[in-house]
Amino acid sequence: MLEIRNLHVTVDGKEILKGIDLDVAAGEVHAIMGPNGSGKSTLSYVLAGREGYEVTEGSILFNGQDLREMGVDERAAAGIFLAFQYPLEIPGVTTMTFLKTALNAQRKARGEEELDAVRFLKLVREKAKPLNVNDEMLKRALNVGYSGGEKKRAEVLQMSLLEPSLAVLDETDSGLDIDALKTVAEGVNAMRSPERSMIVITHYQRLLDYIVPDVVHVLSGGRIVKTGGKELALELEKSGYAAYGADAA
Amino acid sequence: MNEVMTEKAAQNFIDAYESARTVLPGADGWLARRRAAAIEAFAGAGLPHRRLEEWKYTDLRQTLDKAGFAPAPEHKGAVVLPETASASAFSALDRHVLVFVNGRYRADLSKAARLPKGVELRGLADVLTEQWAKDLLERRFDEARQAEQVVDLNTALMSDGMCLRIRKGVKLDKPVHLLFFAADDGASHTRNLVLLEEGAEGTILESHVGEAASFADIVTDVVLGNGARLDHVKLQDESANAVHLATLRGEVGAEARLSSFTLTLGCGVSRGQSFIRFAGEGAEAQVNGAYALRATQHADQFCVVDHAVPRCASNTVFKGVLDGQSEGVFQGKVIVRPDAQKTDGRQMTQALLLSRDAAMNAKPELEIYADDVQCAHGSTVGELSKDALFYLRSRGIPEAEARRLLVLAFLDDVIALAPHEEAREILRGLVSGWFEEASI
Ligand SMILES: Nc1ncnc2c1ncn2[C@@H]1O[C@H](COP(=O)(O)OP(=O)(O)OP(=O)(O)O)[C@@H](O)[C@H]1O
Ligand SMILES: [Mg+2]
Repeated sequence: MLEIRNLHVTVDGKEILKGIDLDVAAGEVHAIMGPNGSGKSTLSYVLAGREGYEVTEGSILFNGQDLREMGVDERAAAGIFLAFQYPLEIPGVTTMTFLKTALNAQRKARGEEELDAVRFLKLVREKAKPLNVNDEMLKRALNVGYSGGEKKRAEVLQMSLLEPSLAVLDETDSGLDIDALKTVAEGVNAMRSPERSMIVITHYQRLLDYIVPDVVHVLSGGRIVKTGGKELALELEKSGYAAYGADAA
Repeated sequence: MNEVMTEKAAQNFIDAYESARTVLPGADGWLARRRAAAIEAFAGAGLPHRRLEEWKYTDLRQTLDKAGFAPAPEHKGAVVLPETASASAFSALDRHVLVFVNGRYRADLSKAARLPKGVELRGLADVLTEQWAKDLLERRFDEARQAEQVVDLNTALMSDGMCLRIRKGVKLDKPVHLLFFAADDGASHTRNLVLLEEGAEGTILESHVGEAASFADIVTDVVLGNGARLDHVKLQDESANAVHLATLRGEVGAEARLSSFTLTLGCGVSRGQSFIRFAGEGAEAQVNGAYALRATQHADQFCVVDHAVPRCASNTVFKGVLDGQSEGVFQGKVIVRPDAQKTDGRQMTQALLLSRDAAMNAKPELEIYADDVQCAHGSTVGELSKDALFYLRSRGIPEAEARRLLVLAFLDDVIALAPHEEAREILRGLVSGWFEEASI
């Protein structure tokens, strides 16, 4: 599904990613852990196509297609979804309008029929319920005045509605209380399927108790310095990153 | 040589007065003398130009000299409105409608029968013999006389207008819609008179449309008695070759409320000026607007609110979106007189630049002579947030659609200040449509 080769990325003239190799097969869940500032969010932004993140070397293939040639919204329509570490507040655009516009734009881009208001409302309520997102929240401006945890649940709602084939979750667990963490993890797990891959960025082993990964990577100083199974996360929890040669970048 | 050129448009108006004065409404009475005095004063002052502080960013003299408008002809025949959303705006609402073509009232196209008792709604020529109309026409609205030149021109040449009087305690049953259609090129001069007596209530919707190279000069004088309430929603969407000059003068009585909103989409050059004066305590004025401009459009909003008495509240918000090489202007002033304690006066202007070549000039001012007041003013100019665009696009929303959503979001809170709920939705639709045109 995703093949990253020797990826070097520069932001504002500063090299942040210094040769990443990463293969994520269909149906797999990969966790990426690593110290603050190691480049985890940078990697997620590069996948989503954010402006200002310049690929200076290497390649990213998504289902065999060169991602660099695709615009931000094209990537989304092709099935890439990023749950933001810091979701943006958009005053004046209600969450409901936003979700409907996004879903229908993707459907249109894929040549599918757009959903009318009634069918959309039914679908969004069905997806929102298990995430404890109520109608009142949906009617408010997108993320405006949402608590930290509400923002994260709204991100997962977007994912569940848009049904991407590759979901990148950037610290979706941070800021969640214990119950919300379970709710969100259940939401994510419900989406696991042989056709869908996930990259879960987190600082906490606790999340990985709920969303059990197939592979765990340690990203440090812009490189993947260690790759292992789910037990790697447990080791990291005990010993920290120092043992993996992870000095701060 | 320059001097001669700059007087051209003013001379055209003076000539137009000379040739029309015997046929203009009220030619045989007191108004003829008023008109003569007005044209004399106008001839002395000429058209406003940029050396005047209030006209710093809009050179009306130069604009009109260049355009060289002749008087618009009287249009008698059938009328075909353009097939635009603006031309049919408000038409789905239950309303009384007065149609003006080239500035003249067309009773045959209007529908304003069965008015409630206590409501009078007529063309200007029909009310000139009445004392209330005379009082309004002779009233001194803005003590600073900032609108004087423009109002003199209008007084001299006004050929028609809407006159609405609502008697004490009477509520207008449905909105009055004034549809101004510029069918042919040329200048028209319109005077609207609105008198709401004590406790009266009414809503006026106003739309200005047309594809002609027209110059609309409109003065609307409003007097609200104690406790009266006027809601006013105006849409201006005339052609890129048109010039629009609208002056609203309002006197607001004790506990009364004036709420006016203007959406500006059209015209090459437009200027909307409001002069509001509180005449009694506890009154409120809302003077707000939104605009969306492209190409070389220029729109100027000028607003003075005079807190002459205590305990009144005023709020002015203008927000605009500027694309192409368009130019927006906001000049505003809140005056708080020495006795006007407990004043709450606010002015805010915000612009969103969609292109590097667009520009905004903003100058909100406070002039405060009382100490126990709450006043604020501010102005911001910004661009669409790249982060917000990225966020929307990362969900699959194409860039043009993402921009449209963000622009609508930017204007949404000011449109929310428009007083009539259904009209508000219509304005939202028009702004949304404006953006679709832009992306073609
Ligand atoms: N615009 C920029 N200019 C220069 N450096 C930047 C810029 N944006 C990010 N960086 C740097 O890139 C590095 C990686 O940042 P990134 O956000 O990817 O880290 P992270 O691994 O997600 O950290 P955290 O765990 O704190 O979320 C940091 O050192 C950061 O300061
Ligand atoms: Mg991060």
